[in-house]
Parts: sequence; C-alpha cells; structure tokens
Amino acid sequence: MLALQLTIAGVATGSVYALIALGIVLIYKCSGVVNFAQGAYAMLGAYITYFLLHLGLPSIVAVLAGMALMALAGMITERLILRRMLKAPIVSVMMVTLGLLIFLRAVCLAIWGPDQIAFPQIFPSGAIDFAGIFITYNYIAAFALASILNVGFLCFYRFTSLGLMQRCAADNSRAALAIGIHVSNQVSIAWAASAALAGLGGTLLATLGGLSLNISDIGLIAFPVIVVGGLDSLAGALIAGFLLGILEAFTEGILTPNLEEFLRSVSSIQSVGALQQVIPYALLVLMLLLRPQGIFGRRGTERV
Amino acid sequence: MQMTMRSFFIGLALAIVFALIGYEANRFVAYMIYAVAISAIGALSLNLLIGFCGQITFAQGALVGVGAYAGGILGNAGWGGLSLLGAGVFGALVSMLVGLPALRLRGLYFAISTLAAQFILSYLFKILQPLTNGVSGLVIKPLSLFGRPVASDQEYAVICVALLFLSWAFIARVMQTNVGRAFLVVRESELVARGMGIDVSQTKLKAFLLSGFFAGLCGGLFAFTSRLANPEAFEIGLSVDQTAMIIVGGLGSLTGSIVGAAFVTLLPEAIERLGELLPSADLVSAFREMAFGILIVLFLLLEPRGLVALARRFGMRGESASSVTARLGTGVVQSGVAVSAQNRREA
Repeated sequence: MLALQLTIAGVATGSVYALIALGIVLIYKCSGVVNFAQGAYAMLGAYITYFLLHLGLPSIVAVLAGMALMALAGMITERLILRRMLKAPIVSVMMVTLGLLIFLRAVCLAIWGPDQIAFPQIFPSGAIDFAGIFITYNYIAAFALASILNVGFLCFYRFTSLGLMQRCAADNSRAALAIGIHVSNQVSIAWAASAALAGLGGTLLATLGGLSLNISDIGLIAFPVIVVGGLDSLAGALIAGFLLGILEAFTEGILTPNLEEFLRSVSSIQSVGALQQVIPYALLVLMLLLRPQGIFGRRGTERV
Repeated sequence: MQMTMRSFFIGLALAIVFALIGYEANRFVAYMIYAVAISAIGALSLNLLIGFCGQITFAQGALVGVGAYAGGILGNAGWGGLSLLGAGVFGALVSMLVGLPALRLRGLYFAISTLAAQFILSYLFKILQPLTNGVSGLVIKPLSLFGRPVASDQEYAVICVALLFLSWAFIARVMQTNVGRAFLVVRESELVARGMGIDVSQTKLKAFLLSGFFAGLCGGLFAFTSRLANPEAFEIGLSVDQTAMIIVGGLGSLTGSIVGAAFVTLLPEAIERLGELLPSADLVSAFREMAFGILIVLFLLLEPRGLVALARRFGMRGESASSVTARLGTGVVQSGVAVSAQNRREA
C-alpha cells in the first residue's frame, strides 16, 4: 500500500520533472549547450506566474502568460549570451549557464525575498479516495497538465514541419543550413520552448510544494538522471523525469526511515539528511562507468 | 608558463611585501590578505587541472572541504604544522578518486561525474557526524606551529602568503618539467599525447594528485583561519567561485589565478561596503550574487582569456601567460602531429 502511494506521488512529481528535463535535452540536442540554468528558469517561471496571479489575472491566463514570458526570457538568453559563445570552450559555456543560474536566483531573492511563499490555489482543493489511497487534486492536475504538455511537445517535435526543422538542425546543422533552414533561429526556438516548459514545470512544483528559491535546485538534481536517460534522447528525458520522481518518493518514504533506524542502532549517526538528492548522483556514477551514453542515448554522444 | 629567474624574484619580492603589509596592518587588512592568499592557492590548483590539463571539474569545493576537515581533525589531534601537510595529502588522495572516471570519460561527461563527486562529498560532510560533527560544523583549534598556537590574523597572513608563494613557485616549476609539458599535450589532444608516447591515464592522475594536494592545503588553511569547518562552506557554490576566479584571471595562467582570486574575493567586500546604503541584509546578499553572476557572464562574453589578457591589451607589461602556453601548446602539438604522421607513413 505504501509502495503504491509512493509510486503515485512519484509519478506525479516525476511528470513535472520530465517537463524540465525535456528542456535540457532539447537545448543540448540543438546547440550542444548543457544548460545548468534550467532550474533557474523553472524558479523564475513560478515566481512570474505568482506575480501575475497576484495582479488578479485568472489562473489560466496567468499560467499561459507566464509561459509566454519565459519563452521570451529563453530567447533573449540565447540571443544575448549563448549565440556569442558558439566557439567558446565547453568549460566557458558551462560556466556561463552557472553564472546565469546565480544571477537569476539573486534577482528572485532581491524581488521576492528568501522565505517560502504559499502559492495561490490554482486547482480546486480536495482529494479523491482511490482504493484507500488519497490523491489530492493538486497532484492529479499537475500530472495531467505535465503529461499533456510532454506528449504535446513530443508530437510537435515529431509531426509538424517546425518540429522537423528542429530535428534537422539538431541532427546536422551544416546540412540543415545547406537546405535553407535558419539554424540560429531554430536554436532560439529551442531555448524559448525549453524555458517555457521549465517555467510551467516550476509553477506546477510550486503548487505541489510551495514557492521558494529552492525550486532552482531541481536543475542540478535532475541532471544526473538525464545523463542516465541519455543527454540526446527526448524519450530518455521523459523516462528520466519519472525515474527521478519515483526514486525521490521511495528514498524519502522507505529508504531514509529504514536506513536511519539501522544507522542509529549501529552508530551515533542520527539522520541521513537529504538522501534523495544524492541517490541520483550515486546512480549516475554507476551509470557513467557502465554505459556512458545513457540508456537511450546514441553511442559516441560527447564522450570525446 | 615560463618561470624565469626574473619572474621568480618578482614573485618573491611581492610575497615579502604582502607578508610585511599583512604583519604590520590591522586585523581587517590582514584578513583580506590571507583570504586572497588562501583562495589563490585553490585557484592555482584548479587552474592546473582545468587550464593546463584540460580536465573540467566541479568538485573543487568538496576537495577544499576534504582538506579543511582533514586539517581540522589532525590539528585538533595535536599534529601541529604537519596537519597542513595532512590536509594536502588527503586532498590529493580524494582528488585521485574523483579523477578516476577521467580515465574512461572525457569533456562534458567527465565534468558531470565530478558534479556527482561534489554532491556526494558535501553530503558525506553532513552525515558523517562522528568525524565532521555534521551540519553544526567542526570547531577547530588554532594552528600550532613550533609548539606555539598561531592566534592572530597578522600571523596567518604571513603564513598564507608564504605558502601561496611556495605553491606558485612549485607549480610554475612543475610546468617546466616533462610532467608539466605532458599536461599541456593531454589538454590539446589525447591522441597526440598517446602518439608521443605519453601515458595519458598516468598524466591525468598526476594532475589530479597535484591539484588535489593544493586544494587540500587551501582547505586546511581555510579551516585554521576560520576555526570552523561547516558543510555549507564547501558546496557547489565554492566550486563555482573557484572556477570564476580562474576564468576571470585567465585559464592557463598562474598569475591570472592569483589576480582572479583577489578580484573574486575582494569584490564581495567592496559590494558589502556599498551595500550598507541598502535597506536590508537580504538585498545586500542578492546584489552581491547578482554582481557575481553578471561578472562571470560578462567576462566570458567580452574577455574569455581573463584579466591577464585584458592587462596585456592595455599595454601593461606582464607575464603573457596564455600566449606562452598557447604557443607552447600548439608547438608541441604540431611536432606531435608531425611525429604521428611520420609514424603512419612508416607503418
């Protein structure tokens, strides 16, 4: 019973993580940039939506406007910063996105302060009783919305002509240029899309667990799992998101209490702390040693 | 990275001047001098790894932490001056472990594996309570040298400047040996390195060993000067700070590491002074972080080769570090390519 409860909670948050992971993979596929600032986009999106809700906009308008603003933010980042760094060494690109992460966190800190804020209720409150397991509407709504967007985005990528151009640009940018695809614009679109997805993901995380600067941590925590899924695989990102959610739920629900009990009986260690933040990294180390290209990634992806 | 007699004596003279200033000045100036010297040792160690050997790592903060805890625990156990050496040795050992994946992974994937090391180590600092005293932090007795505790900030300033000078001279010397030149070749191309008969794995491990030693030393000094090793001090933020130092100063430049460390360490102090005009402490820290973030982004966009290159551009005399390494690097690579091409023809 506990396992089922944990699985459901894990799948719900996992679907939101998948939204954020999708963005990281999208940017990596298209431009080879590893975006450590994705978590900051999620955080910024949540704060912007919060601000819009505070202005008195209806929920749906606020969420959509928040996504649109985030898309703009993503596009501006790409135009102003990343486009100028096409030839920069990989360490510089990583540092630039880390600098962006620090900057965005500081901006939110300056405007909204360090304390956790209760996020306004945008979904009806209450819970359904499903075979003895209580699931709040918040979780159901987050899962539904995230899933629709995940699937919607994959369909867009797979079946529309813009999606085709995206795939061309990601697959072989020179060939894409040769057949008349404006690759730089495609990269801009990828950044816009992934920032918008992350913004929505952040908003959903805020509805589940409150709004604070810590939402930005998800970018770095999600990272190992994305690598496990394969940095260049959208399907891998989806599965990675779910995996992270379930892993987190089970670590918190089962592993942590049992491990603490065991450690207390054999040593003076009282608490294992935020174990759920480390488990993904432990998984990553194993994975990198066994199968560096990830479960779904192509062999040869950036191993050299 | 040529260390001529001239640059050696300039460094020595500067070290003596700063040590004297630190010894005579008030506590605050002494504090700033040792804070810069300690971060500079860390930045030198990181530049050795990223700038010279091309191994991107984000675990520097945790390695400094390993040094801090090792130094603190050994110092509390009464090891005296040897505890600083111990801090370096532990830093070196853990750094080798962190570097092990580099034998199989390269570039981005290796960087991510070091990110994993950073998170796992800083998690261990928190939960290994018997050793580290957990989140409340380990209280550390003052460093005792020659049977006498070093208590004043002025004395620490002298010690840190002296150790910074020794670290700088040592690393600069290493870069003139075959080991140092092998680092550069591995950075330029592992294939060429292999072609030249360099053992790439061994070279990488040597780089991790050396860099880890100085990271540990930096941590040990940090522990004794702040008298507290707290897990929060050694999180990913410290890795980012240290990387910012070598980027601001100049990748692959020893002088740049020291200049960058001074810049990144003193900037928050300056903003703190300006920040007294702001209404709240949160705003001050927000603005400090904002300035830091903007600084990183702007430097990478406008002057990716760092302050050293900027100084040269404005016609200041200085060690033209990156161009020296660049010249040296490409020179070696070109001869390496020639060698491997020749090998292929003969084969």
